[in-house]
Amino acid sequence: MSAERPSAVLAAESLARSGAVGAAVSACYEALAVGGRSAHVHALLAHLMLEGDFYDEAIAEATTAIEADPDCAPAYLALGLAYDRRGGMWDQSVLVWHELAEVVPDLVTAHVQLGEAFAAAAFEDEALESWKRALELDPKEPRATYNLAIASLKREGMALALPLFRQAGELDPSQDELFFSLLGVGDPSPEPIDPARVKPTREARLGAAGLALRGEDLFTAAELVRLALDELPDDPEALALAAYAYLKQEAANEAMACALRALSLDATLATALYSLGVVYARRTGLNRHAARVFLALAKQAPDRALVHVLLAESLLGLQRYEQAGRAYRLAVRLDPACVRARFGLAASYLTAGRHAEAQWEIRRAAHYDTKRQGLFFSLYDRWVAGGEAS
Amino acid sequence: MAAEEAALLYQAFVEQDPAAAIRVVEHARASGIAQDALFDALYAPAMAMLGGAWADGAIDEVAFAQAAVVAEQVGSFVMPPASRRDTGVTVVVGTLHRDRHSIARTIVAATLKEAGYRVNDLGVDVRPTDFLERIEETGARILIVFAEMVQTARAVGRVREMLASAGHEGVVILVGGGPFSADESLAREAGANGVVTGAESALRLVARAARDLAGLGEDGS
Repeated sequence: MSAERPSAVLAAESLARSGAVGAAVSACYEALAVGGRSAHVHALLAHLMLEGDFYDEAIAEATTAIEADPDCAPAYLALGLAYDRRGGMWDQSVLVWHELAEVVPDLVTAHVQLGEAFAAAAFEDEALESWKRALELDPKEPRATYNLAIASLKREGMALALPLFRQAGELDPSQDELFFSLLGVGDPSPEPIDPARVKPTREARLGAAGLALRGEDLFTAAELVRLALDELPDDPEALALAAYAYLKQEAANEAMACALRALSLDATLATALYSLGVVYARRTGLNRHAARVFLALAKQAPDRALVHVLLAESLLGLQRYEQAGRAYRLAVRLDPACVRARFGLAASYLTAGRHAEAQWEIRRAAHYDTKRQGLFFSLYDRWVAGGEAS
Repeated sequence: MAAEEAALLYQAFVEQDPAAAIRVVEHARASGIAQDALFDALYAPAMAMLGGAWADGAIDEVAFAQAAVVAEQVGSFVMPPASRRDTGVTVVVGTLHRDRHSIARTIVAATLKEAGYRVNDLGVDVRPTDFLERIEETGARILIVFAEMVQTARAVGRVREMLASAGHEGVVILVGGGPFSADESLAREAGANGVVTGAESALRLVARAARDLAGLGEDGS
């Protein structure tokens, strides 16, 4: 099908992919003028209208695309998101997400969205079934777990919901990203690290250990940290790396021991504060301790959204819902695309009876999550390739 | 004193002796360290020593792992109490008759329970007579009535009348739900003592009501 697409459509696709919304819309209309009705162009227009928050137009374009090709999965995605974000159209939204789940049965997000549409329409049991189905397809799907946490909050209160929020948070790769950004480590090393070839200096060893951790090569990291500690046992940064390595191996007490030792040497070391806070947050009864540690971390790294999320989660555990709400709002201001902060903020709104605002945050989380995944274009490419195969 | 106890606890970890570790904790508690201070005063310093011993090679990886297992066994003895102490204050909550909204009530009830209140949750669609019956059964003097529709919100006055006619004028009635948050005059008209706008506000209002009632004495005087 790709080869059959006129060059005007390909140009519109290219502009849309690059995020040049205005130019892409113009290109789409030019493509329509020369090529007549095309599911491709209408699907692209639906996506672009959604990007510009023109929900009614997005609905019209997506509907036209689906009429032209009932298997046009990206148009279903755009239509469902447009219904959800426009609000008040939950019955249509349920039908669209259901349809998308039929057209692309392995699309986890379709089940997550279907659940959210059911929940918004107050079909709580059907919503739970949809999220459970999403988790059957992908047990590590964070948004389904966040939604289960919100449902648990509504049915049972925060004490049972909070572990689910934390579980979802740990499925979310952004928590590891936080540690590495605190450490100042970027992308993992493309080549495996050989400890024997690392320069025998503290800086080189710790730098290589950080890269090895980034690449989840825990044994190499541990070997390099050991070499550094053999030279200087009171090295807080090496101890903080060890704490994180133990944390990744689910060895919480070893992680706690290393992090506490690191903090006894440098009380403001952000990487050690991170590992200690995470260990404390996992323990029942240590919310106060976790909040204290994450508060110290927030002072060291005030511009990292996730730090405020971690603090907010501890505050939820302490029933300080208003303070938690403030921390979540700060996180959302720092990173509007932070799904974890959006769901947490929704939870804090629910504790204050602010249901509409909670629902709005969940819808924004859906927007950013599908955008982060690049879901429209992955469905678009799959749909185009399916057309070629047929 | 605490530093010495922490060193002893560390020693017990390294010697893989959980019984000795528990003895240290019990001794520290008997010497006056409160349960919610044990973790910071005793356990955390001992764990820091353990981390230091591993870092400087005084113990190897295997000994570190075994000591961590002992630390895990002892952990529950030093944890702060997981839930707040029983306040002894009973609170009856429920959503009014012909109203089936339950989210706000569930969250508030769970929050109060976590905070140590004795919560009697009557659920949704509760008639004023059922509120009265449960107040008399439990002796509760704080009632939270939820209503999420204007029509049901207006009916809260009926609960106040019924309690007054049965001689329970001293019961504190708090109300919760969208109509009351939007228009506080509804609460005043219904004879409510306060408006619960969420979980944290419920904690504040119930604590204040409990304090006021305690100050008044059992007979309400």
